[in-house]
Amino acid sequence: MNNDLSKLMKQAYNQPETGLSADIWRVIEVKQAEGLKIKSLSYGFIGILSLGGFVLMSVSIVKQLSTSGFFQYFSLAFSDGSLISVYWKEYLLSLSDSLPVASLGVTFFLLFSMLVSIKKSIEQYKNKLLIS
Amino acid sequence: MEEDYLLIKKYLDGDQASLKMLIDKHTPSIYNFTSRFVGVDQAKDTTQEIFIKVWKNLKNFDVSKAQFKTWIFTIARNTITDYLRKKKSISFSSMGEDNFIEETIKDESDLPDEIFQKLQDKEMLNKVLEEIPALYKEVLMLHYQEDMTFKEIGEVLNKPLNTVKNYHFRAIKKLKEICTKV
Repeated sequence: MNNDLSKLMKQAYNQPETGLSADIWRVIEVKQAEGLKIKSLSYGFIGILSLGGFVLMSVSIVKQLSTSGFFQYFSLAFSDGSLISVYWKEYLLSLSDSLPVASLGVTFFLLFSMLVSIKKSIEQYKNKLLIS
Repeated sequence: MEEDYLLIKKYLDGDQASLKMLIDKHTPSIYNFTSRFVGVDQAKDTTQEIFIKVWKNLKNFDVSKAQFKTWIFTIARNTITDYLRKKKSISFSSMGEDNFIEETIKDESDLPDEIFQKLQDKEMLNKVLEEIPALYKEVLMLHYQEDMTFKEIGEVLNKPLNTVKNYHFRAIKKLKEICTKV
């Protein structure tokens, strides 16, 4: 009886109008394109912001390094090597003290987000090519 | 026709045509299921909505946890429930589950000949399917039209196997009642 009821039920199948799956596919294609556009714009925006921030932070770091005496400590390594070999611990401590750690952290973060957004933009571009 | 999981894998690897094939393959059954609950006028839009959800969530589909067919029908069921809720119609769960008691399941799928004769008429069958409570109707549709096992229906409904068998028992009983009345 299972088969009989199955047969009957299948006869009562409501068939969709022709072209429904093509319509669905078209809607998905449009949504895919929209999604790619939004993602590309977002990654582009993040990339540009990161690049701007990276440039500004790099300039600021150079200024901070020169005011903190980092360059003077660093040049010591090339001018008086024997003194540094004796007081290398103190030298390294002074050198690290003169580094603007927080600014360097922010700069590396900006550099990282810039690289990620470039990678993602390339991925979006590849996806766009696949869809088209 | 290629297996669903192969089509999904291919699509996730970048083959757009596989998604199109997947849509072509499942559109008739999803449309049929949807049209019985939201009506033919609304079925096209709801079917479209279901496939958009499927497309958006395809990355999360886990082949090891569920079959694509049960997964897509679960999405269809949820979408239909949302639509009926918005329309303030009664949802699946509130239909037909009154005074639910676990009964000893016997094979109640035997339909008398006279009822079979009545159901041969497509209009009559449509009328019966219209009148039958949604919860029972979906069990009948998934079992007899989509050839799903009770276990698979349980996955769609998120109910244990015995509950599904009970729904089926009650669905057949209801079908007999309606046929006898008409």
